[in-house]
Amino acid sequence: MAAPGGAEAEGVGASPAAPPLPAEPPAAPGLTRGPHRGGMAAPPLGPAVSVVFPGAVSRESCCRFACELLKHVLYQRHQLPLPYEQLAYFCRRPSQVGDMIKKPPSVDLASKKCQQVLTDLEGMLQHLEVIFSLTLVPRVLILLGGSAVSPKELYELNLEGVCVGSTEKSLKTTSCVRKLFHSLFIADVFSELKALPAMGTVVMLQGHRDCGVEWFRPKLNYKVPTRGRKLTVNLSCDGDISISASAPSSTTSVWEDYVWFQAPVTLKGFHE
Amino acid sequence: MDETAGDLKQELPNTCDNIQIHVEVHQNSISTAKKEDIRMSVLKLLNRHNIVFGDYKWTEFDDGFLNSNVQSVSIVDTELKLKERQPIDLSKSSLSIHIFHLNEEGPSSENLEEDNEDIVAANHWVLPAAEFHGLWESLIYDTEVKSHLLDYVTTTLLFSDRNVDSNLISWNRVVLLHGPPGTGKTSLCKALAQKLTIRLSYRYKYGQLIEINSHSLFSKWFSESGKLVTKMFQKIQELIDDKDALVFVLIDEVESLTAARSAFKAGTEPSDAIRVVNAVLTQIDQIKRYPNVVILTTSNITEKIDMAFVDRADIKQYIGPPSTAAIFRIYLSCLEELMKCQIIYPRQQLLTLRELEMIGFVENNVSRLSLLLKEISRRSEGLSGRVLRKLPFLAHALYIQSPNVTMKTFLQALSLVVDKQFEERRKLTDSV
Repeated sequence: MAAPGGAEAEGVGASPAAPPLPAEPPAAPGLTRGPHRGGMAAPPLGPAVSVVFPGAVSRESCCRFACELLKHVLYQRHQLPLPYEQLAYFCRRPSQVGDMIKKPPSVDLASKKCQQVLTDLEGMLQHLEVIFSLTLVPRVLILLGGSAVSPKELYELNLEGVCVGSTEKSLKTTSCVRKLFHSLFIADVFSELKALPAMGTVVMLQGHRDCGVEWFRPKLNYKVPTRGRKLTVNLSCDGDISISASAPSSTTSVWEDYVWFQAPVTLKGFHE
Repeated sequence: MDETAGDLKQELPNTCDNIQIHVEVHQNSISTAKKEDIRMSVLKLLNRHNIVFGDYKWTEFDDGFLNSNVQSVSIVDTELKLKERQPIDLSKSSLSIHIFHLNEEGPSSENLEEDNEDIVAANHWVLPAAEFHGLWESLIYDTEVKSHLLDYVTTTLLFSDRNVDSNLISWNRVVLLHGPPGTGKTSLCKALAQKLTIRLSYRYKYGQLIEINSHSLFSKWFSESGKLVTKMFQKIQELIDDKDALVFVLIDEVESLTAARSAFKAGTEPSDAIRVVNAVLTQIDQIKRYPNVVILTTSNITEKIDMAFVDRADIKQYIGPPSTAAIFRIYLSCLEELMKCQIIYPRQQLLTLRELEMIGFVENNVSRLSLLLKEISRRSEGLSGRVLRKLPFLAHALYIQSPNVTMKTFLQALSLVVDKQFEERRKLTDSV
């Protein structure tokens, strides 16, 4: 079940009893609110964080957002004991001569689980890069626990409002990632939540029907679940965007040929 | 007598006109083609081959589009409607085409008590699942068990769909399958759920199968068990709330839950157990109001089940051990599989029971092996489906041990293993 705080915030986001979760981070200086926000899908249940980038964003950046959010959620929601980079650093160290002391079997098991999740996650990140290079990805879902249709927690990254531009004419990836996480930290979406047991994480994303991706499995009947705790991260662009960048469209017909794909591996969380 | 039979035969081709033919189209797991496009291509395919004899399955197609997007196109369950194998004119029958994707991920588990994560209270599948693919076809029964169940649930869902007033006509959405162990009750429940999800895919986007471990509903804390049941059903309720999902709740060995009440009267069961039964009964009454739920239960010992529960079940289907005819078909399917895997080599066509009957059981080169198989089937009577399905394996392990054998040698080994099975059984009962 969701944490009490999270459950309250759900559905009645405007309720004064809900914890102080701002629907949007306070506007940073120099940031203008664009007209695109109005064109986005109706805000779903649960807290939402909106980030507006002052310019076009490249596809590579979009991919980084998804990857970084995935890593962040896994760590923040207790599926990884350390942030991904640290975990990879400690666990993937080539064993030195001094390390050859026999470890108790429980440690072995934990390290096996750790290796497994690292391998799976690495594969996932690589395949995310592939699919982002093949197609526009309007939405990404990170589903924790339960099954893809009834997860315990759901994190949605909505990229429908993003103007995708060429790498040269877009904002720098690092600054965009920094801005995204700045907004996430200000919104303080993770601190209220109760610790979770280790469970499986499923990644789903929308891509074009004919993008030709092979690793992800199409789920033509999939529908975004309405149960469970949900956090939406809405990304959009504003400011001086050159014509060459593909402008976002609020009409649904454009997204009609975009179908859900599910990653064929479930990331199995573990505790130390 | 003969005349009437002849008349009947002339009548028959007409009777198969205008029957409902179900065509299941298994879409490739990586295919993203639109359902309408697939439907068009499948219709074209069926137009080219518009006469079929009974069930038929295409796995290779001339059409490039079908080849790349579809695993198989199968005409299914014709034997449930038609007593005999006969030509079916597809252009004259009404076709319902069901296109589905299989979900490859295994079951996910639900835990009830947050402090002990290890005890799994329920397994939960998203249907149609790859795990249950082909299960329905592998279940062989004599009577029309399968078509009864299918028709029953279809009617149930139709009544709910049309909002029939349940105060005037009551139906409960509870199916109870009972019978000796190993007759495939649980498998039948799972296969039924899978089948219905595919059949009703035009109405429900996906199916969910929740298999409740009934023992996990008994808490170690006194007076907590009833609450566990409520919690379990709350989770199920959440799933039911999704109107696009068809939810199947499978309670296996239901007697372990409901036998408790009579034992309570005898004073051998703590009062906590009775709360579980009561909670289950009230919860079933609660969820049966929803149109998109079916409760499937199985039991080995019907007498022990609480009457209050038996009353709630609309269909109480007895599943008995298979008859000779069914055993013959089970063996035939096993041998077919072994020939496919080239363990039995060279391939030899066996006759079905019906074909044997047509030649009057005359022994000749063609029918010899089939008659031997019939004889083995007759001697196997009394064995359950579960045992029958493992006999080919045992036959190979005990008497053959070589990577490929002829059909004749294999049947001899099978015959030996059947004898051995009965011998073992006798020894077991003697020693008790």
